[in-house]
Amino acid sequence: MGMIEDLIEPFEEDTMRGSLDHCIKCTICETYCPFSNATPLFPGPKYVGPQAERFRDGGGHSPDMSLDYCSGCGICTLVCPQGVKIAEINSQARAKLWDERGVPLRNRVLARPSVGGRLATPVAGPVNWALGNRLVRSMIEKAAGVHRKAPLPQFAGRTFQSWARRHPSPVSNKTVVYFHGCSTNYFEPRLGEMAVAVLEHNGYRVIVPPQDCCGLPLQSNGSFDPARKYVRRLAADLAPYARRGHPIVATSTSCSLMLKREAREILGVTDPEVEEVGRQTYDICEFLLDLHDRGQLEVDFSPLPMSVPYHAPCQQRGHGMGKPALDLFGLIPELRIEELDVDCCGIAGTYGLKKEKYDISMSVGDRLFKTIANMEPEVAACDSETCRWQITHGSGTASVHPIELLYRSYGL
Amino acid sequence: MVEADVLVIGGGATGAGVARDAAMRGFRTVLVDRNDLAMGTTGRFHGLLHSGGRYAVKDPPSAAECMEENRVLRRIAADTIEDTGGLFVSTPWDDPAYSDLFHSGCIEAGIPVEALSTSEILRREPRLNPRISGGFAVPDGAIDAWKTVWGCALSAKEHGATILNYHRITSIHRSNGVVTGATAVNEVSKEEVPISAGFVVNASGVWAGEVAELAGCRGVTVLPGKGIMIAMSHRLVHTVVNRCKKPADGDILVPIRTVSVIGTTDTEADSPDDVGIPQDEIQLLLEEGEKLVPGFRRARALRVWAGSRPLVKDDKASDADTREMSRAFALIDHKERDGVEHFLTITGGKFTTFRKMAEFTVDRMCAHLGTARPCTTAEEALPDSGHHRFYWLGARLARREETLNDDQLICECELISRRRLESAMEQRHTQNLDDIRRTLRLAMGPCQGGFCIYRATGILHSVERLDYGEANSALLRFLQERWKGVRPILYGDQLRQARLDDWIFQGLLDVEHLT
Amino acid sequence: MTAAGQGRIYDALVVGAGTAGLVAALRLAQDGADVLVAAKGVGATHLTGGTVDVLGYAPERIASPAAALPGFIRDHPEHPYARVGAEAVGKALGWFKAQFPDGALVGSLEANLLLPTAVGVPKPSTLAPETMAGGDLRNGGRFTIVGLTALKDFYPAYLADNLSRARLGQGDDGRVEARAVTLTPPTGGEADVTPMGWARRFEDAEFRKAVISGLEPSLDGGAVGFPAVLGLDSAPTVWRELNDTLGVPVFEIPTLPPSVPGNRMARSLRTALTRAGGRVVMGGRVVGVRATGRRLEAVVVDAAARPKPYRARDFVLATGGFASRGLEMDSYGLVRETAFDLPVTGMPPETEARWADEYLAAHPAARVGIGVDDELRPLDQGHEPVYDNVRVAGAALAGAEPWREKSGEGISLATGFRAAELIVELRGG
Repeated sequence: MGMIEDLIEPFEEDTMRGSLDHCIKCTICETYCPFSNATPLFPGPKYVGPQAERFRDGGGHSPDMSLDYCSGCGICTLVCPQGVKIAEINSQARAKLWDERGVPLRNRVLARPSVGGRLATPVAGPVNWALGNRLVRSMIEKAAGVHRKAPLPQFAGRTFQSWARRHPSPVSNKTVVYFHGCSTNYFEPRLGEMAVAVLEHNGYRVIVPPQDCCGLPLQSNGSFDPARKYVRRLAADLAPYARRGHPIVATSTSCSLMLKREAREILGVTDPEVEEVGRQTYDICEFLLDLHDRGQLEVDFSPLPMSVPYHAPCQQRGHGMGKPALDLFGLIPELRIEELDVDCCGIAGTYGLKKEKYDISMSVGDRLFKTIANMEPEVAACDSETCRWQITHGSGTASVHPIELLYRSYGL
Repeated sequence: MVEADVLVIGGGATGAGVARDAAMRGFRTVLVDRNDLAMGTTGRFHGLLHSGGRYAVKDPPSAAECMEENRVLRRIAADTIEDTGGLFVSTPWDDPAYSDLFHSGCIEAGIPVEALSTSEILRREPRLNPRISGGFAVPDGAIDAWKTVWGCALSAKEHGATILNYHRITSIHRSNGVVTGATAVNEVSKEEVPISAGFVVNASGVWAGEVAELAGCRGVTVLPGKGIMIAMSHRLVHTVVNRCKKPADGDILVPIRTVSVIGTTDTEADSPDDVGIPQDEIQLLLEEGEKLVPGFRRARALRVWAGSRPLVKDDKASDADTREMSRAFALIDHKERDGVEHFLTITGGKFTTFRKMAEFTVDRMCAHLGTARPCTTAEEALPDSGHHRFYWLGARLARREETLNDDQLICECELISRRRLESAMEQRHTQNLDDIRRTLRLAMGPCQGGFCIYRATGILHSVERLDYGEANSALLRFLQERWKGVRPILYGDQLRQARLDDWIFQGLLDVEHLT
Repeated sequence: MTAAGQGRIYDALVVGAGTAGLVAALRLAQDGADVLVAAKGVGATHLTGGTVDVLGYAPERIASPAAALPGFIRDHPEHPYARVGAEAVGKALGWFKAQFPDGALVGSLEANLLLPTAVGVPKPSTLAPETMAGGDLRNGGRFTIVGLTALKDFYPAYLADNLSRARLGQGDDGRVEARAVTLTPPTGGEADVTPMGWARRFEDAEFRKAVISGLEPSLDGGAVGFPAVLGLDSAPTVWRELNDTLGVPVFEIPTLPPSVPGNRMARSLRTALTRAGGRVVMGGRVVGVRATGRRLEAVVVDAAARPKPYRARDFVLATGGFASRGLEMDSYGLVRETAFDLPVTGMPPETEARWADEYLAAHPAARVGIGVDDELRPLDQGHEPVYDNVRVAGAALAGAEPWREKSGEGISLATGFRAAELIVELRGG
């Protein structure tokens, strides 16, 4: 059987700014933007993106502070029927805005979770206590602008890296590399352990190379140069494995999106090494579903008689791979999944932590929180860590990565 | 009967400039145009404020004059000008020897010129062809012609002048070989307006020959050198970019407000009213654009239009090549030429030097009238230029930030608020949305009115208390007007927009069944 | 990329998530087919007014599409309706109505409603949401058109002015008297509220109370027309409450995009699709295909980091026309279909102008699109199918001028439905 591959249009790399030409003002993006629908402070993605960009002369002064209320969730680019890179245009314009005004200290701190992680892990106990203390949080809010009720995660007191160093992965002729991200390392090492267990259960040797932050929070806070440094460093750490053809599997859909495309599209990083790593990067659900499609996934799933709401984070949808978690859930007997057709939880990375944006963030996520709370489930499932923390904060429901349900069902 | 000392026929830059100058010198002045002001050549060029670089090699005195007037306009009309700066770049298609000539020509003409490396040029303008081999920076700018002309007209009004737009001159009166006035017809009400004037200045540009004939002065040959221009939907460059070569078709890209305009071509038109767009000229401009900005053909072309340069026939050049004819202006003294006194025709020239042309004309008028009144147009700023600050592209964006939630955005592409629109409608007191377009840039953005035409019509209906027929005519006429400029460049993104606009106007609103 | 010869094979893959695509996918999913919809965005359903216009003008106004279709098809043998036949149009409409709760969509092929547009022109529509049907002008009547101060997309005075001169057709059954009223309900200080913003406000009971009490003094017994912003998910409830409380027929009038009723319809279709087991992958364009002879094997879709192939037995191409970038014309004037690179037909010869001078005239190039056979398979220049297992539906098809005929939603619905039925037949359904 011969297969004729006709590539209709080699992927055309529109400059992000140039893609504004495709905007025909249909305003569909604005009907889907969770943030402009929740606050009049943000005029909407079409406004701050392709429309305002025609009024930016590449010079020094950015007059539109309202741009800062864009959360970078990327739903606009996703729903645009015309192919305008709205979120990317917004991100770049925002970086210029902050370049001019100077990134505030708060944003610089929030944007470096790995730095915070390294400092706080040895003293996690007292740090967690402080971050849970109302008085301390009020002071932090006043001094640094982090909302006192913002859902800050707890430091685990140990790192996933230290576990991985002590964990011997079984020998196999199939190898994957695990890109765990800052949140797994400092806040949720259990998740990393579960991910490794699931992969090993499927016959893979899992390598966990030393690695640092992907730079996403820096990018979303407008600090492009440090973001580029971080992503290049990460790519350098992972490149030797990518070159050997090993897939790089990630459990954070936000961080893996950075490697897959945001480094190039938003930061303008076109280093071959970063591209090579990106091409080999997979979300873990995407990876496992591909295995299943090839008939190579272990399907010894035990029943999980639960009803679980599933929320696909904005940046998960930005992968353009559909929702592989749903198909994986379908393999688990008795598991009933309620796919939530609500768009955004509101946290948008570090956006909802900020004093001036917390209320907007909670308002955006309100419908999601209520829908989940009304179901009274044992847990909710969601692929991104910051979204999980927001969902728990807003709905009172425990929240897990889809991998955890597979882990449980495998009986690991 | 309107009484005046001087009647100026033609409300383009030259006419408005003459009216202002005359009014400032104390003459009772009337300015008349058969259309809205600046709808002839002035309103149809790309908006370049010359540094003179384009004439540095071919016509150094003309270049020097441009640079002088460039400085004057920056002083008196700052808010109509964006200080974009200009570049002359050498592409692989340009004769490298020209750059040296260019450089020395600029120096000779007193044009500030700075040599730049390729990397510096690409740093400033990343969309330019990376195969450029260096270039120069000069003080070109981008100027809003309508704003400047209206500024002159309002300045003239402040000095006592009367502006009669939408008045067509039907006859010019003489008595014993001296011009005594004219008759105009109000194009809206159709009533005749007799004007008595001691002096008449014919500043009707490409139509100068037709108007001169009304005064019995035959054979004033002004050839319309037609050129087309295409506005690209966003600013591909933020600096005026010229090819460093002998001036030819499609060798300039001007960032003017939110668009970039590529121009222009040069063929002799059949008549001054011929604004047809030849398809092969469009392809030519796209080809030249692609040389300057790779990917130009994939960028979005918004609108195409034609304007005719008034070229006074010079015996030395052939009819066919109008570009060779002098771009310096021609002041025709009809007393010498035709024995008709108190009648001057001023035509030719370019926008940048309009003020100087006007000064020259009014000086000659004063000489004829035997009065020595000095010109002060270069010293006094135009009204609204009070801030003496150059136009800044981000101004509308900044202004909108302040009113995000307490004023509606009617034309979203060009950031025009409802209050601004309503006040322009009240000021202009017109039923023609195209007049509002020239004042505010309504419907001049990417959607070409797809969303704002309906809104503007609804608002006009209310503000001007129109009946349904008048409002419907305004809407349909504006739609047709927008179509004219879009139809010849209907491809790519603009075709998609047009299709959406069809859905809105026909599929949703069903305007073709309006009564 | 999956290894050759292995990997999931969908029963049907639909490219495009507009009305045609979602209708085809839903019909297939209802038959039990494993359907995937691949789309680069949310589709153009959001831009339609919310009605289903089957045939409004040809060129005279059509009172009964059922009566007019046979003749129309005879006169326009290249039209999409000619490809599917009048019977299929009726069947599609019947099915579509049944997808919504009883009475939610009113109308039939027998007689067009005449509904006012946002400039006050009576426009023929075949199906309309119950929230709009009260504006039917066929029998004349008195109408009060309500504007909202902070809504810039609706001008009741202008609308009413035109509506009062509306020409209802031969032998008008009654005159139309229309007047305008403007309300200023509380918007929390915002002067520029979008249609979606209004729709959300209308979902709040307190807000509706304020609107009702503001409006009641101005009522004169005639029907009341609002801009189409009466709620989102709870639109039927909102509308019914206004109807019952005001005691007169209340109706919505669609206005500029983004359309709230269009949004409602798109979401209903997507929800129905998900419930029926269909899947949607959003965010990438088709960048390639894999085929063997006249059988399409897979479609390659752009995604982050690497394009992904999706294999299927049958395919529906519902990518829309120029407006959706399903068709593209380059600066040289060449037209191509952007997903499968199918041949395009309907361009006038080089010697003829493509576009008329008059904006509102019929344009020679307007009917450009993909030519198909009676099984909706795309044809090559020799009138042979390019692929046996590909059907084309919706605005990508050649032969129609939907915005002039007022036939856009009808074409999408009829051809999307028919494409699915043809595949269902092959499946043995």
